[in-house]
Amino acid sequence: MNVEDLLEVYEVMWRLRRFEEEVGQAVASGEIHGEMHLGIGHEAVGAVLGRHRRAGDAVVSTHRAHLHALAAGVDPVQLAAELLERDGLNHGKGGHMHLFDPEARFMCTGIVGAGVPIASGYALKQSLQADGALTVSVVGDGTMNQGAVFETMNLAAVRGLPMVFLCEDNHYSISVRREESTAGELRRRGEPFGIPGFACDGTDVDRVDEALGQAFEITRTESRPSLVVASVYRFRGHYEGDLDLYRPAGEKKEAARTRDPVLKLRERLLDSGTPEARLQEGENRAAETVAEWFAAARQRPLPGKKTAREHVFADVKA
Amino acid sequence: MAAALRQEMLRDHSVVVFGEDVAKLGGVFGATRGLARQFGGRRVFDTPVSETAFMGMAVGAAQAGLRPVVELMFVDFLGVCFDQILNQLAKNTYMSGGRVRVPVVLRTAVGCIGSAAQHSQVLSATFAHIPGLKVAYPASPGDLQGLLVAAIRDDNPVVFLEHKWLLKTRLPELAFDDAQPGDGEIEARPFGRLRRLREGTDITIVAAGYLVQSALLAASSLEAGGISAGVVDLRTLVPLDRDGLVREARDAPFLLVVDDDYHAYGMSGEVMATIAEELGRQAPIMGRHAVDVPIPAAAVLEAEIVPSVPSIEQAARALVKE
Repeated sequence: MNVEDLLEVYEVMWRLRRFEEEVGQAVASGEIHGEMHLGIGHEAVGAVLGRHRRAGDAVVSTHRAHLHALAAGVDPVQLAAELLERDGLNHGKGGHMHLFDPEARFMCTGIVGAGVPIASGYALKQSLQADGALTVSVVGDGTMNQGAVFETMNLAAVRGLPMVFLCEDNHYSISVRREESTAGELRRRGEPFGIPGFACDGTDVDRVDEALGQAFEITRTESRPSLVVASVYRFRGHYEGDLDLYRPAGEKKEAARTRDPVLKLRERLLDSGTPEARLQEGENRAAETVAEWFAAARQRPLPGKKTAREHVFADVKA
Repeated sequence: MAAALRQEMLRDHSVVVFGEDVAKLGGVFGATRGLARQFGGRRVFDTPVSETAFMGMAVGAAQAGLRPVVELMFVDFLGVCFDQILNQLAKNTYMSGGRVRVPVVLRTAVGCIGSAAQHSQVLSATFAHIPGLKVAYPASPGDLQGLLVAAIRDDNPVVFLEHKWLLKTRLPELAFDDAQPGDGEIEARPFGRLRRLREGTDITIVAAGYLVQSALLAASSLEAGGISAGVVDLRTLVPLDRDGLVREARDAPFLLVVDDDYHAYGMSGEVMATIAEELGRQAPIMGRHAVDVPIPAAAVLEAEIVPSVPSIEQAARALVKE
């Protein structure tokens, strides 16, 4: 990526960061009453995913999904309204772990691993159309130990489904460190199935760009699955309110210096001679944009009480 | 079954069929025989023995615009893919605020043919308990076809319970055969409308699936013994024809619910509660006959547990003479 690309990515990452911070504040203030998982620290993956995604691609994500939703082109105001428990993207029925946007071909699910087989269904449809579209199945390192992932890797490989397994490895399954839960190298989990795996530093946008580029290229042109493992740091607890006492002393402080993708790109751009004022411009624009999204989202009404019983079933065609 | 599937696959190119042994073998009961040859491996294909993966694939494919007819070989295998049914298939329409449709038909073989507790269940109430799933439990060849056509055209997930005895019994040996004539179009039959298959003034027997056939045979024997028994076929458990049930119960002095799914918290209780809630003290005297233990392997034990023609007859007699 050249400097202009990087500046664009920088601004996108700032939007993602500000988006999650707004959501975090809404949890702290009680405006959001449910469980909440934020992707602060995962921004490089979200921002770069958005660059590689093409119209027609589908994205199936997890309980930590906002950044992927934005990358997939979900309307940010509708998204924010849904998170704020208003009449939003899914009329208040889904909330932050169950976001569905059929136009953007985006969904996520709150059950760890359940999205992976579903992603293969989107890929099945794409393989029948054979139009070069693909499906990204986002998982975490914890999800990689679900049987559904192995079953789906095998199924996708044997049927030649255009599916990219994208693992955001933040090293923790809630409180359990990866070393204590996970054997072997995640990148090689697809090897027995002939699925090529690419590992990258998920806090470095160029490394994410390379890895996703390679994986997308193989999957798009050869209609077969690939795997990317992006190592990131989760700066918040598993959920908002998680006391986060399971981390070794000093880990987070150290990560704030070395593993913050936004800060890393900032430093890099400064080192390469980009004037700080230009970065500041992007930061300000991002902050304003996100503030506008949330202001607009807060204008949305609460869901009508009577709608609670609607949509258990779809309207049957006449 | 294959004829109904073939008709719908010709009619709608988004219909795809997959599951274990559905392509080359044509299904362990032959329900998909010939489809792979006719429609090719892209629309009809065998999956690995990975129920979670292919059930989830059905959910995603349906959300992406296909109409998957997915086969879970035996309903007992539900346990290995339950999350995809409980938390995804059933809920995504609701959780999306109606934005997503999940038109999956989950065909699965149910009932007892001598294979013990892990291969003999019905589990209809397990599905029917979950909001968002329709549940069809056909009792006759005509309903197997007509309700299947309706299920494929439905925009909702439908669990389609195919009783093994119904799939295995030769047509002339069935007490009731309503198959639609050979060459014509197989017409969709509506969900949520029960049917009375036999009139009777002393007792009404309510059932679904293959036990409707058994109930009809039991009713003939009862008649020989001087008891006039009517038989009602529920056809679909979700939606349940609650108005129809109340109508049927209004004139019946006695009502027996027969079920080959488990007794506790099941269909029999639901039917009785529906009638009692509506009719109160005007409700008939009601009884039920259902399975309340895991199904044993040995024939002599199986016959002791699973409702059959003689056991239905006995239960009806006991109720009327109580």
